[in-house]
Amino acid sequence: MRDAVIKLACCALALGIAACANVAPYQRGYLARDDMSLDGNPGTAKALEKTYAAKEAASGGATVGGGGCGCN
Amino acid sequence: MQRLAWAALFVAHNAFALEAGDKLPEVTIPALRDSAPVALAGFRGRVTYVDFWASWCVPCRESMPLLDTLYKRHRDAGFAVVGVNKDVSAADAERFLKRVAVSFPLAADAKDAAARAFDVKAMPSGYLVDRKGVVRRVHRGFTAETAASLEREIESLLKESP
Repeated sequence: MRDAVIKLACCALALGIAACANVAPYQRGYLARDDMSLDGNPGTAKALEKTYAAKEAASGGATVGGGGCGCN
Repeated sequence: MQRLAWAALFVAHNAFALEAGDKLPEVTIPALRDSAPVALAGFRGRVTYVDFWASWCVPCRESMPLLDTLYKRHRDAGFAVVGVNKDVSAADAERFLKRVAVSFPLAADAKDAAARAFDVKAMPSGYLVDRKGVVRRVHRGFTAETAASLEREIESLLKESP
């Protein structure tokens, strides 16, 4: 009984301290905002990526552009 | 027992999504522009397509003009479209509508009440409702296949008696 209570408390604690939240598909407008983008300036990021690829003589592996809204 | 608990959790998570055969939620959504709020109950007796769209939703750039064409073509036969906007700001929606002008009623679901009532699972999501207020077809996403089948489905529902 005591074990069960401890397990339950641990579960509740794990859920309570999790900072993740589900973003509903219809709320992805928030993620599509410019200030949610990982790169402040997509143009500069692209140029840096190209320079990096030229220096390393290899390309690929970088992420795609966009704010993570899953729409482009 | 554990499996049963997981199954129950899975069912609970998916139980609320509006599917074909369900009654249309009778929500009233504020209008996007200066007009009366859009009450979905008021569309009873007409074949209605409730479409959730947003300016950031890329497929909506294709679906909205097509819905407008279908609306204009079948409006007199008893077909209606309600466009429920899911933009964070109305200005974004207006910018989209300058490029893609539509003539059907538009609502702004800023507080997510309608999206929660329908439990929208994808953008865009379209709910084709018959004259009795029963959801007959749910379109999640918008592809060339949707465009091809939608008019057939509308015409078939328009033939049904109220």
